[in-house]
Amino acid sequence: MIGFDIVGFMISWLTLFGIYAILALTLNLESGTAGITNFGKVVFYGVGAYVSATLTAYLILILNGVDVSETPPYGIRGIILLGELGNKNPLLNIGLLVLSLVIAFAVSGVLGYLLTYPILRVGPAFVGFTLLSSGELLRIFLQHYEPVGASKGLMAIPTPFGWIADSRLREVTYLGLVLGLLAVTYVVTHRLVNSPLGRTLRALRDDEIAALCLGKHVPRIKATILFIGSGVAGMAGVLLTYYLTSVNPNMFVPAVTFNVWAMIILGGFGNLKGSLLGASVITFVDRVLTFVTPQLGIAAISPDYLRWVIVGLLIVVVLLVNPRGLLPEKPIRTPAVDVILEEFRGESK
Amino acid sequence: MSSMLEVRDVAKYFGGVKALDGVSLTVPEKGLIGLIGPNGSGKTTLFNVITGFYVPDRGSVLFRESNDLVRIDGLNPNEVFKRGIVRTFQIPRLFNSLTVLENLLVTPLGQRGENPVRALLRNSWSAQERELAKKAIELLKAFNMLRYANSKISELSAAHIKMLETIRGLMTPAKLYLLDEPAAGVDYLMAKELFTYVRRLRDEHNLTFFIIEHRLEILMEYVDYVYVLHNGKLLSEGKPQEVISDPKVIEAYIGV
Repeated sequence: MIGFDIVGFMISWLTLFGIYAILALTLNLESGTAGITNFGKVVFYGVGAYVSATLTAYLILILNGVDVSETPPYGIRGIILLGELGNKNPLLNIGLLVLSLVIAFAVSGVLGYLLTYPILRVGPAFVGFTLLSSGELLRIFLQHYEPVGASKGLMAIPTPFGWIADSRLREVTYLGLVLGLLAVTYVVTHRLVNSPLGRTLRALRDDEIAALCLGKHVPRIKATILFIGSGVAGMAGVLLTYYLTSVNPNMFVPAVTFNVWAMIILGGFGNLKGSLLGASVITFVDRVLTFVTPQLGIAAISPDYLRWVIVGLLIVVVLLVNPRGLLPEKPIRTPAVDVILEEFRGESK
Repeated sequence: MSSMLEVRDVAKYFGGVKALDGVSLTVPEKGLIGLIGPNGSGKTTLFNVITGFYVPDRGSVLFRESNDLVRIDGLNPNEVFKRGIVRTFQIPRLFNSLTVLENLLVTPLGQRGENPVRALLRNSWSAQERELAKKAIELLKAFNMLRYANSKISELSAAHIKMLETIRGLMTPAKLYLLDEPAAGVDYLMAKELFTYVRRLRDEHNLTFFIIEHRLEILMEYVDYVYVLHNGKLLSEGKPQEVISDPKVIEAYIGV
């Protein structure tokens, strides 16, 4: 273990954990609590990532007086210019981060609503497959769409904290941003689940027909949840872009969606803390393999394959021991619980 | 007595099958009306038309709204519920991952905390939530089910499940109840108790009941009026004693 950079490992793991945990929390709200089979999580994640990459690369060039029709950001010249111009103005960098987050939320959210509203009346399997194929359509579109770099994607995207000279400090600052957004996502999803809305979501997961007969506008409620979940997934995509400083279509394969599904299955369907746990375990495995295997000099086994074997094995073992995942779903906490407890206490007196 | 629900010449076809073929009937306000008929006679299809699951191929369904009768056929089931029609199912449909209390709390319309933005601000809905919880507790008390408030549905008996499915509609200003075989799968004494409760609901909450039931011996004791469906058509109607002695009804049931 010579030269193993434990701090670097922790920063890398926690950043990746933060991004994936945001995806897992929102997927758990959509699929675990509301029962929508979202097999297209990667669509909204990818859209968010591309929104921020495109916005940042183009605006940095344009605002520095570069003619993007002559030197587009995906050309060699553009990539070099992005590196030169990218980190001159901290305020611009942070401004672009905020703008990216807002626009990514709006675009991914609206896409989530529009894509699902017409199909939510059909069965869960169809919803899953429609969203799954939407992801592939998006990827193939991006592969051939020149303004976002087609199959090469966009590179050398200036980061919000690129102006911080010390690389470690820069990484830690970024980690702070990621964990901050994760905290906000957790509070939001936790409050949504533990509210009358969360109760209604579980009700329509349990029996859609009965919910419909009790006056619930089932498609609208589900599409609203997908608006929220997809919008937040778009923000996670923004975080990914700035973390990797590049995007390309092959980052957004269906496997990303199933990786997030693995996290919520492992952690526990409908349990938000379980999503955090699932995300931490799976990203840990991923990081360990990425960090450790090259150092051990093992070339025979690619970490890419080993990752899936380990994740699959973990899921099988956990589900054999506890079919509901590591942490099962908890009852909803609303003031109604206090009222009934007061009632019971009053009776026993 | 003025009518709560009017079904006028309703027909519903599935390909060549005439599930309903020109049915007209009236359910009066505060009535306790039975709907009987052999298997496949169209009873549940009629309920599905009334509650908006099917759009009738012909005819109309009218429902009382203050002093007028308003057409409700073609509305979605959630809109039909909002007008005051509560339905229960042959096989009860409750929310199995929720407690008994939560099952009641799902029902009320206009819950502030169901709005995603307000759901984030606990203070904006917690007072309403406490009020609704108290209302639900009162209901559970009235039907001797308070001790099950925190139980899961899987821990209830068949009769309690039917009861819960029926009383959850009382969390809203319901007007008409459509009960699909409330006594199925419940022993004789519990079934009679259920019907006693139904009568009590009718009297105490000014509700109207329209009930499908195969167990005629129980149903006939409680209802004021009965409609008989056979092959999608109204075969007979009248007071329980008249209907039960109608040779056409006996023939349809026994199938000579």
